[in-house]
Amino acid sequence: MKCVLIASENAEVLFYWADLDFEQSIREQYGALQEEGVKPMAFEDSINTLFAPIIISCSTMIDRICDNYTSFSTENNHVYVLQQFEECLYIGVCGDGEENEEDLKRKIYVLKKLIEIHYGMVTLSSSLLRKELRPHDRDQRNHLWRKFQSLLGTYSHLKEQDQSFLVEAVERLIHPTLCEQCIEFLERRLVQQINSSTERAGEEVLHAFILVHTKLLAFYSSRNASTLTSSDLLALILMVQNQFPSNSDLEDMSPEDIENNSAPDVFYTPEPSPTSKDSGPSGAEQDYTPVFQFVDPDIQMAEDSLQTLEVPPPDPSMPSRVFLEVTSKDGFCPMMPHSMYCLTLWPGITLVLLTKVPNSQLATSVYFFLDSFSQLERRLNEVQDGTSVSRSQHSLHDLRNKLDKFIRALSSSDIQLQNAWAEFKSKVFSRSGPGVSRELLPCCKNMKTCLCGVYRHYFLVETTRSSQRLSSSLQERAQQSVQEKLLDWKDFLLVKSKRNITMEFPGLIHFMYVDRTAGQMIAPSINVTDRSTSELGKGPLAHFVKNKVWSFVEMARRYLQKGYTTVTLRDGDYYLCYFLWFENETGYKLEVLDPPTLRDYSAPIGMLASDYYRKLLRYYSKSHNAEVVKCYELLSVHLGVIPTEYILQHCCQLARKLWEPSRIPLLPTYDFSLCRSKAVGRPYKEGASRVNCRGPHFTRESHLSQ
Amino acid sequence: MAETTPPDPRWCTYFFLFDGSKVKEEGDLTRTGICYFYPEETALEHQEVLCSQLAGVCRCVSELSRSAARLVRLRKLKFAIRMRDDFLWALGCAVELPDVSVCSFLDKLIGLFGFYNGPPRLSYQLRSKEELATHWAQYLVHLQGGATELHHIFGSLHTIDSTHVCGNTEETAEWPRIDPLLLLKAALILQACHRCPLVLAGCILYRGRVVSTQMPPELTAKVLVHECETHSQYFFKGSNFKDLGPLTDGLASSSGLPSSGRVTSTPVFLTPSEVRDLRHPPVDRPHRSTCPPLQSNRSKPRLLSRTLSDTPAPDTDDHCGPGASNQTVPCSMRSSFSYEACVSSGASPAPGGSPLFSPDYLAEEKGGLSNGLQEEQKEEELVEATSRCSVSSKEGTQVGLETNDFGEKVEEEEEDGSSRGGAERMRQEPMDSERPQDDWREAKEERPVVEMALYRHRVRGLVLALLVEPQFHNDATALEEVYHSSLASLNGLEAHLRNPAPGLASAQGGPYIFAHYDCLQNTLATNLPASSPPGGSGSPHSAPFIKATSLLHAHFCQAPTLQEIIVRNAGSAVYGTRSVAQETYFLQQGTTVRNSGVPNPQDSAFTLPAKARHKLLKHGVNLF
Repeated sequence: MKCVLIASENAEVLFYWADLDFEQSIREQYGALQEEGVKPMAFEDSINTLFAPIIISCSTMIDRICDNYTSFSTENNHVYVLQQFEECLYIGVCGDGEENEEDLKRKIYVLKKLIEIHYGMVTLSSSLLRKELRPHDRDQRNHLWRKFQSLLGTYSHLKEQDQSFLVEAVERLIHPTLCEQCIEFLERRLVQQINSSTERAGEEVLHAFILVHTKLLAFYSSRNASTLTSSDLLALILMVQNQFPSNSDLEDMSPEDIENNSAPDVFYTPEPSPTSKDSGPSGAEQDYTPVFQFVDPDIQMAEDSLQTLEVPPPDPSMPSRVFLEVTSKDGFCPMMPHSMYCLTLWPGITLVLLTKVPNSQLATSVYFFLDSFSQLERRLNEVQDGTSVSRSQHSLHDLRNKLDKFIRALSSSDIQLQNAWAEFKSKVFSRSGPGVSRELLPCCKNMKTCLCGVYRHYFLVETTRSSQRLSSSLQERAQQSVQEKLLDWKDFLLVKSKRNITMEFPGLIHFMYVDRTAGQMIAPSINVTDRSTSELGKGPLAHFVKNKVWSFVEMARRYLQKGYTTVTLRDGDYYLCYFLWFENETGYKLEVLDPPTLRDYSAPIGMLASDYYRKLLRYYSKSHNAEVVKCYELLSVHLGVIPTEYILQHCCQLARKLWEPSRIPLLPTYDFSLCRSKAVGRPYKEGASRVNCRGPHFTRESHLSQ
Repeated sequence: MAETTPPDPRWCTYFFLFDGSKVKEEGDLTRTGICYFYPEETALEHQEVLCSQLAGVCRCVSELSRSAARLVRLRKLKFAIRMRDDFLWALGCAVELPDVSVCSFLDKLIGLFGFYNGPPRLSYQLRSKEELATHWAQYLVHLQGGATELHHIFGSLHTIDSTHVCGNTEETAEWPRIDPLLLLKAALILQACHRCPLVLAGCILYRGRVVSTQMPPELTAKVLVHECETHSQYFFKGSNFKDLGPLTDGLASSSGLPSSGRVTSTPVFLTPSEVRDLRHPPVDRPHRSTCPPLQSNRSKPRLLSRTLSDTPAPDTDDHCGPGASNQTVPCSMRSSFSYEACVSSGASPAPGGSPLFSPDYLAEEKGGLSNGLQEEQKEEELVEATSRCSVSSKEGTQVGLETNDFGEKVEEEEEDGSSRGGAERMRQEPMDSERPQDDWREAKEERPVVEMALYRHRVRGLVLALLVEPQFHNDATALEEVYHSSLASLNGLEAHLRNPAPGLASAQGGPYIFAHYDCLQNTLATNLPASSPPGGSGSPHSAPFIKATSLLHAHFCQAPTLQEIIVRNAGSAVYGTRSVAQETYFLQQGTTVRNSGVPNPQDSAFTLPAKARHKLLKHGVNLF
């Protein structure tokens, strides 16, 4: 029984996602409230009514006692998590014990991240975001909501099944030779070719990468590109997975089976005219979805995938608009517009291109102005008398010059912005106006809304209307060339993605090694389906271990949140260890520093939705000015019968061994320019693939004999 | 005195009881529904905001989830919630406290009120808000008073410290080492009182701390509240204790008692399940899981025919005797007792532990207690113990035998069968008359309560508290018997407790901190000083330990398969381990070698389990 919803400050539902159980429970309750013979209310409306008291109480609490709810729990262990972002209230509910407060909070943050990646800085204006998230047209709304519902579903699935989404770090396919070849290919044969083509319509490929399921095979960034953050990359992988889900049945088949199975092509055959209009009838049906009497997980899964199918598949040559963080010489912009092209090479293997769109420098300017107005607002709120006016006067003149120039460059396309700016100027700079005082606050807000409006106009509205994109033939050629390149490797890659590395320590059940600086992780795979066998054996035992790992990751985070960097515990027949430490670039271990203790309601620890580790590194770097600081995590599961000192020795060895493959420069890191220059033709050490070889042997047997 | 310190705002920023039935209509004022609000000086407007918002949100949530709300968290504050009928109790406290601890704090508070006042609806009908407000305030102060932050986290009883490991000198002066023999003496007094069929269970308290008890920990905690109250009065008035009249709410103050100033009686209200447990000591109660096999296998046959002259082997377990199923002895003793006597069956008693139950010791005690009837009494007790023991082990088949004390009663019960309980309840709780009579066995913790009386006999700082059947006070013979049989021993015990044996110098606490929590008896042993400043979290060196302990305790509560855990940061490493019956936490001070946090077998944090095992042995904590 799960639900996530976003409500505006007027207690209007801007988005919701609910599973069947929750819908059924709400319908039953609503049935009790409703009179006989009255047409049943749309689910959207009943959810609105039922949650209204909570939403209203939230704003009362903020007004009256300057505090706000963060969570509720009930005697039957239902959990509610509430999170206010600007003027939007996010509520997550779980009533089946599968998610706790932390999970719900994470889900809420992920939803916020997904909305940001889709709407960019429009999210900074609640009135504009409200329009985007809740279109007047019901069909359009259903269509949009189903898109985000599907993304949330994909996220929940990945978080439950995929280790990289569990720890929120990108998992790489470990094959240094192929990786190197691919990077070279992406650079010379793909990105350079496209960027010199005349069919690119003003776009420029900045990043290109190949995914095998959720694992990254190769990543190339052009020289003009800014670093792609781990948070953005993970979110993009999530979107790709949502667009081309890995069918779990197919995954467990041998590669030969996959070849003969054309099902995915059928699933994702693009429809000729995917307009939003044709979702009309299905949208109307949605309100009267029959309530299922049983909740068999398989059937629910089938239902979920049906819902996925209902969303008209996008035109494959049509890119998605994504807003990503960029730090360039022109300045910082947390949500710079990009176009994302997902070209599926084979089921499970995808080529992704991220391009820079024309006019994108406009976003940097808009961000600069938004930031200036926010700072001004903050100062105005602090000001009691006129003390800080003179100080802000200087920066205001600077702002005036820049904004005048900006508006002139926009060439009178936005009347609203011009008017708002004129009003602002008259208040601040004219003799008769009130000057810099609190009365300016509404003007600041208005200016921000208008700036967001400009941004929205250029990067959201225009794109959906125009056919601005790399030409279809250019996309096809790109797809074909990479297909040719990888044709011989295809089957290998699909298998490799299931057995990335193997273990060779006796008594070691599982481990995860995460390089938080690079945002990458390495771990043996855990497959819990009966079809395939992973390191852990299969079936219930693997399932059991998987649950242990999942809950331990959560546990370790809770201790990290409270400032503990080492946790070891004996749980049942297992001994679990977690370590977090810092190194400098040469691998010298730096002295441990207590991470700050976080509040329970602070952003979740991770990299996808809130970059905890980036903040941690920044915090740590303060005391290590001179050097590059790297952060690593190791998590291990051993058999409890092994003496502790051996387990600790194992962990020590593991950390040392895994350090080497983690240095393969596949991913952008914060010193990416350095890596990139080394990427081509860097000699790989033999030792790098050491952990790759050897099948499972002692581990599984000793484990099963328990 | 710790008991008189003002409430700690971290544990209770707000507390209120809100009656939703009074605020149903649009025009109803929120204030009419507020039964009690702490702090009482809070502006009424603010009270109304909190009460109405929390009540509204909790109702909305419980409708959505079809279950009562339990916890409401805000950014700066969190509320433990209880919803029953139209009532809503909310306890607001600091967000960093463990959920389990604050919820149990609230439950205790509600339990205390119910114990002394009966069901809330009824008590608010019978008495004024103002009168009951003084009670709430008293319970709040009591629950927050005393002992360490750790006691709050575990919600444990304050027991007398038998091991004395405290480094704090002030503490040392006030709570000297207690001779274990005195604990046995106390247990014997209780057993003697228990011979009276109208006495359900008893407990002996010394200056607000438990010396010995026959009650389950929850009940002991409840009995303690009035004791603390009077103890603080006593403390303030110096030795003026004789002037103390009946307690504030002494509704049924004893009439025919020989010395009314020292003996008081209060009506109390128990839940049916509490009464049931007291009437038939449940040998197979789930939380006694370590002992039952032993009792049924070993001790029963011999005990049946046992008298003192039998001089049974030292390992005989007669702790399943009358009411002794709940016998609490201070924590560290119990741990050795439980491990040696129960786990490794047949092992010889550990010094200081099992002598409590050894016959040699009984013989010694004879001289110590100046009661002529001692020997005879003890024989009878033992016989009684055996009969009870055998009965209770067969509980369920021979329901009626449990009161075993009077021949005629037993016969009556045999005829009557299980309906007796129901009939008796009818007599005692008219408000529960609609309940089906044979339903009582399944009685959950519901509203119906059974009225009993709490008999208290005070000898200076020492108090004998007995839970008795209501008719006890009309039974002059029973009253006198109990009074006289215990008077002399109580005087003796008090004298011993007041004048601790000299020469028992403190075994100085090492450079480590530990806490050992006994989940069954709800007792805590620790070498942390008890007097932490109000509102603070103890001295700076104990803060890391308390922080880690509360996190680990919450983790243990959540993860049933978790056995041990080590957490470390730059400054400290804490080791926690638990078994079915206990949790132990250990921190070594001053040994943290600065390291990088990378896996390192040389890290001193990983030597903590061995160190804890070694160091805690002398505190009677056995981790092997």
